[in-house]
Amino acid sequence: METNSGDVNQTTFDPTFQHPYSPARLPETVRPSKSQDLKSRFKNLRKTRGDGNCFYRAFGFAYLETLLTNGKEYKRFFETAQKSKDDLIGLGFPQFTLEDFHDTFMDVVKMVEKPGTTAALVEAFNDGGLSDYFVVYLRLLVSGHLQQNADSYIYFIDGERTIKEFCSQEVEPMGKESDHIHIVSLTKALQVPICVEYMDREGDKCNSFTFNPFEGTADSADATPVFTLLYRPGHYDILYPL
Amino acid sequence: MAQKRIKKELNDFGRDPPANCSAGPVGDDLFHWQATIMGPTDSPYYRGVFFLTINFPTDYPFKPPKVAFTTRIYHPNINSNGSICLDILRGQWSPALTISKVLLSICSLLTDPNPDDPLVPEIARMYKTDRDKYYKVAKEWTEKYAQ
Repeated sequence: METNSGDVNQTTFDPTFQHPYSPARLPETVRPSKSQDLKSRFKNLRKTRGDGNCFYRAFGFAYLETLLTNGKEYKRFFETAQKSKDDLIGLGFPQFTLEDFHDTFMDVVKMVEKPGTTAALVEAFNDGGLSDYFVVYLRLLVSGHLQQNADSYIYFIDGERTIKEFCSQEVEPMGKESDHIHIVSLTKALQVPICVEYMDREGDKCNSFTFNPFEGTADSADATPVFTLLYRPGHYDILYPL
Repeated sequence: MAQKRIKKELNDFGRDPPANCSAGPVGDDLFHWQATIMGPTDSPYYRGVFFLTINFPTDYPFKPPKVAFTTRIYHPNINSNGSICLDILRGQWSPALTISKVLLSICSLLTDPNPDDPLVPEIARMYKTDRDKYYKVAKEWTEKYAQ
């Protein structure tokens, strides 16, 4: 996987968008046309550390970066994030550990306030103390959302287990990789539409998928994705459109 | 980060200790605790006092604490070294958990062993096939080692 020492790299211009895995790891190589496809639509790729937390870290960084230039959305998000703590405590998470993670999470969120900069966010996301605490809180938000909406998600989990078991096995532990259900939950928990480009084995082009948190609800909010992630089997990075 | 969190846990534990458990640092080393669990009433461990060691890794709470029994105990999920087979001490550790929750889970494990994921297969087999004998041996061990 990635061998970066940091958590979120400085933007590395990667004009090739080539698949990072060696052929030994992924024998059926992804078609070169997919790299071409990405090149025609994106200018840049920001790599995140491949430690199983990449989806959360990529989501957190990419989202806060968009908030740097969107004060209105920042205000909405700040309020949502602020009150999420009480919802989670209500679900039975231990109060003092939860407060600890929430406090640090909010400290990182507040870095967006003027004069927030991408450089400062990069620094925060490369600081294990801040970055890992941030990831933990996003994991708890996913767990909380799944538990609050257990009836809607129970048919989407593998194996005979309850949503609570799924959360303690596949969501809350650090380093557990994220699947479709985790992404749906986080986008819904925070009401943030995102797009994921799937650079997998099927087709000639990358498959785009928009996660629309308002789908199936009466909310007619704008579902235009606020940022795009690139998925290459086992890993998420951040894409910057042309 | 780890040290700050462990200090908080210590305060929290002192303010609101779980029933039948105690825990605290050994000497000045915050990363090394000793704990005790009183055997639950509805188990063959009743009237026993069990000692455990808790070692916090330097990257706590992202990695689970290492918890082991120092008192010998006859149980399908605890071996002769005191190692405990418990999901939250392995792959299902969450940074939101606390030592207090861990000790409560160990108490539950004493009341309700998990013979389908055993650490000591012989004890698990006995637990499944001859519950009375398991109960008797576990009670004898409690009297011998934990009283």
